[in-house]
Amino acid sequence: MIQAILVFNNHGKPRLVRFYQRFPEEIQQQIVRETFHLVLKRDDNICNFLEGGSLIGGSDYKLIYRHYATLYFVFCVDSSESELGILDLIQVFVETLDKCFENVCELDLIFHMDKGGLSAAPARAVSAVKNINLPEMPRNINIGDLSIKVPNLSQFV
Amino acid sequence: MSDIVEKTLTALPGLFLQTPGAGGPAAARAPFSSRLGGLIRGITALTSKHEEEKLIQQELSNLKAAVSAPTTTLKMMKECMVRLIYCEMLGYDASFGYIHAIKLAQQGNLLEKRVGYLAVSLFLHESHELLLLLVNTVVKDLQSTNLVEVCMALTIVSQIFPQEMIPAVLPLIEDKLQHSKEIIRRKAVLALYKFHLIAPNQVQHIHVKFRKALCDRDVGVMAASLHIYHRMIKENSSGYKDLTGSFVTILKQVVGGKLPVDFNYHSVPAPWLQIQLLRILRLLGKDDQRTSELMYDVLDESLRRAELNHNVTYAILFECVHTVYSIYPKSELLEKAAKCIGKFVLSPKINLKYLGSHSGSSTPDDNN
Repeated sequence: MIQAILVFNNHGKPRLVRFYQRFPEEIQQQIVRETFHLVLKRDDNICNFLEGGSLIGGSDYKLIYRHYATLYFVFCVDSSESELGILDLIQVFVETLDKCFENVCELDLIFHMDKGGLSAAPARAVSAVKNINLPEMPRNINIGDLSIKVPNLSQFV
Repeated sequence: MSDIVEKTLTALPGLFLQTPGAGGPAAARAPFSSRLGGLIRGITALTSKHEEEKLIQQELSNLKAAVSAPTTTLKMMKECMVRLIYCEMLGYDASFGYIHAIKLAQQGNLLEKRVGYLAVSLFLHESHELLLLLVNTVVKDLQSTNLVEVCMALTIVSQIFPQEMIPAVLPLIEDKLQHSKEIIRRKAVLALYKFHLIAPNQVQHIHVKFRKALCDRDVGVMAASLHIYHRMIKENSSGYKDLTGSFVTILKQVVGGKLPVDFNYHSVPAPWLQIQLLRILRLLGKDDQRTSELMYDVLDESLRRAELNHNVTYAILFECVHTVYSIYPKSELLEKAAKCIGKFVLSPKINLKYLGSHSGSSTPDDNN
């Protein structure tokens, strides 16, 4: 199960923070900071899987991350998830954002948090990927789960 | 009937995009809608954390005044909500806005309702006392004739819903399991999965409906039911051994490319679905020879088909290998699996090396 989805830039500023388990706010911020420090130390040619920090939930949880230009996409998952599957899920997520906003960059994430329904986009991408309609992704994975025939309604769902 | 729905839905974006185009309101709206932009530009211009704190506190007090003012329209409230979400994300408390988020979800039109629900799912948590106020809105939306509202209500139920109010919405959601639109059936299954996670005893009586969802003609609904089955089989695998045949058939169809071509990811058919099915089969076949025998063919087929060199085929291979190791052993399969792990460990890709050496430690002995 996915515990959390964090997106932050090279300086640790959070761009998208989505926890699927309840943590008090200070702990959430601490987790973001700790994750940033863990991920920053990683070299580019090292494995993309990390043991989770002590705050997130202990030994059962892993951090799976990918670094794209100025952004780090980090998924915190437990052992029931396939690591390579999650790596591709991150790829799907980024491709979705790319279709939502042409040639997506960090500024799109910042300025259009609600327009793309971005905070919900991870949930969409996750549920959509797990029940996938992939090539239609461009047109409806911005919402991810309206059926293929329905036109783009990214603002509504 | 569905053509009318499609035509209506096609016309919707046009209608909503027209309103910003109107002269006067747009001029008044423009500075308002760029306030998020202004806030962010303000923050990025600052150099120290202390200044950022000052700016955000200032912004929060403005927002507090704006949300409690009686003259604030719902549209303006939506804009305020987005800024509140941003401030909370940066770590500043915005709890005065929570009740307004619920109000927005209750009273707004589609767009505003959507932002309201989004804000609620981000701000609140399951044991929050304000969440009870949302239940009525959710019930109303579940009964609405507008499909988008039903979708939004089902989504919020599967994200965040108080446990004690489950009986209030359970019959409505069970009803949606038979809806004609597959997206609603799928969301209903996911909502029931959430209920199963937080209160399994309340959904005991509808296991029969899950079976129907498993056999649903829409792949999305079927895939959603797999989440529930994975969980239930994890808890008690012996109760579901009779379904092994169905899972094997589904996996055969996926691997054989029988799904619509939409489900291909870089020409691999539904990889995450394959991974999920392999995990379920692993739980069912553990220490059980008869059940395992049903799976040997399809595992062989999956190992064979996953030949492409894409990241995701490695994921499928990895799951296959794990399943082969966990179920009742068969020597040819074990050999193939061992070769696979060997390739992983020797691969130049660091992730595969890690996974290969990690799984080497869980290889079974040859004694059984």
